[in-house]
Amino acid sequence: AGAKGGQRVVIEPHRHAGVFVARGKEDLLVTKNLTPGEAVYGEKRISIDTPGAVSGDATNGDTPIATKTEYRVWNPFRSKLAAGILGGLEDIHMKPGSKVLYLGAASGTSVSHVADIVGPTGTVFAVEFSHRSGRDLINMATHRTNVIPIIEDARHPLKYRMLVSMVDCIFADVAQPDQARIVGLNAHQFLKVGGGVVVSIKANCIDSTAPPEQVFAREVIKLREERIKPKEQLTLEPFERDHAMVVGVYQRSG
Amino acid sequence: MSVDYLLHESSVGYAVFKVRMQADTVGNRLKEVQDKSQDLATFGKMVDLVSFAPFHGAAHALENANDVSEGIASDFLRTVLEANLPKSEKKKRKITLGVVDRNLAGSIKAAFPHIECETSETSEVVGDLLRGLRLHAGKLLKKLQEGDVERAQLGLGHAYSRAKVKFSVQKNDNHII
Repeated sequence: AGAKGGQRVVIEPHRHAGVFVARGKEDLLVTKNLTPGEAVYGEKRISIDTPGAVSGDATNGDTPIATKTEYRVWNPFRSKLAAGILGGLEDIHMKPGSKVLYLGAASGTSVSHVADIVGPTGTVFAVEFSHRSGRDLINMATHRTNVIPIIEDARHPLKYRMLVSMVDCIFADVAQPDQARIVGLNAHQFLKVGGGVVVSIKANCIDSTAPPEQVFAREVIKLREERIKPKEQLTLEPFERDHAMVVGVYQRSG
Repeated sequence: MSVDYLLHESSVGYAVFKVRMQADTVGNRLKEVQDKSQDLATFGKMVDLVSFAPFHGAAHALENANDVSEGIASDFLRTVLEANLPKSEKKKRKITLGVVDRNLAGSIKAAFPHIECETSETSEVVGDLLRGLRLHAGKLLKKLQEGDVERAQLGLGHAYSRAKVKFSVQKNDNHII
C-alpha cells in the first residue's frame, strides 16, 4: 500500500486533460474513478477530500460540505497507454468528452482508465475478438455506461458498423502482423478527418527476425500509406521491451 | 458512375437518403471537396433524407444488426427499400444505391433487380458520402433527440456482444495466425 496510512497525497492535473498525478511518497499516474468505491482489476484507489465549493450563501456560517473524489492508480507496467504517457507523448488525442475506438480491448483494464479520461460525456467503443477476455470486458462495461463492448474481429469493421459513430481517436493494441492494415480499415470507416491514431507496436508480433527499429520504421511507412500522417514515435522502455508507440493524424485530402 | 441514393444503417434504424450533389471522382481528394462533407451546413445540402425507419425495439434491432453484420438483407430492410426507392419505368436506367458493405450490396441486388449498388470500395465518392452520413447522422435524422443514437448503441452493443460470447461453441479462444 504505497499511498495509504495517512500519507498526505496531493492530486495534480497532468498535461493531458483527464489524467492526474498523485504526489505522495512516490508519484503515481491516476485517473478519476467514474464509479467511486469500485476497483476494476484490484488496482489501488486514492480518496481525496475536496472542500465544498464556496457558494454565494457561504456567509450563513455553515461549513461547505466536503466531497470525496476517488482516483485509481494506473500502472504503466500493465498498460501501454500509461507507459506512453509517462514516456512523454505529446498528444494522446483523448480528453474529457472524446469518442475513442479502442482496438484490442482485452479484459478492459486499460479501457476502464480511458473511460475515466473521456468521462460521462465521452464514449469508448471497445473492440475485442477473444471470447474469454470479452466476458470480462462486458462485465466491466456494465458498470461503466460510457463503454460500448464489441466482441468482433477488428479486421472486419463493417461487421460492427451499426455500433460505432465517428470517433476522435483510434487506439490500437492488437499485436497482429497486419496491424497497420487493421488500423487503416477502421480509420477509413470511423475516424474523423484530423482525428488521432495511437498505435502500440510490439516488434516481435510483426516480425521476430528483423531488428525492432527496422520493424517500427516499416510500420510507420504502412501507416502513411493508410493516409495516417505520423507525428511522434517513442519506445516504451523501461516498461516494455521492444515496443514502440506511434501517434499520427488521419487525413483524407491530398 | 453517379450514385442516386444512400443507405445508412445505424443503431436506431435504417435511413435512405437521396443524393442531390456529389463530387467528381477525379477531384474527390482535393481539400476543398473534402471540407464540404465536414461541415453540416454544406453536407446537409448534398443529401436529402427520404425516409427513416426506426427499429421496433431492442430485439428487432439486434436481429437486424446480426443480419447486417453478415451481409444479409433482412425483411425489414427490404420493405424499407421497396417503399422508398422509385420503381424504374424503363429497363435501361437502373437506380444506384450507395451501401457500405459489399456483401449487403450483393444481397440487395439479388432481391431487387432494378437496383445497382456502389460500395465504398468501388467508389471513393460513395465512401465519403457515407462517412458524412455517419458524422452527421444525429442531426440529419430529425426525429431523433440528442443522445438517442448513443443510448441505442450502448444497448445494442451489449446485446450483440453478449450473444456472441454466450453462443460460442468453443469456450476457449480461437487464435488466428
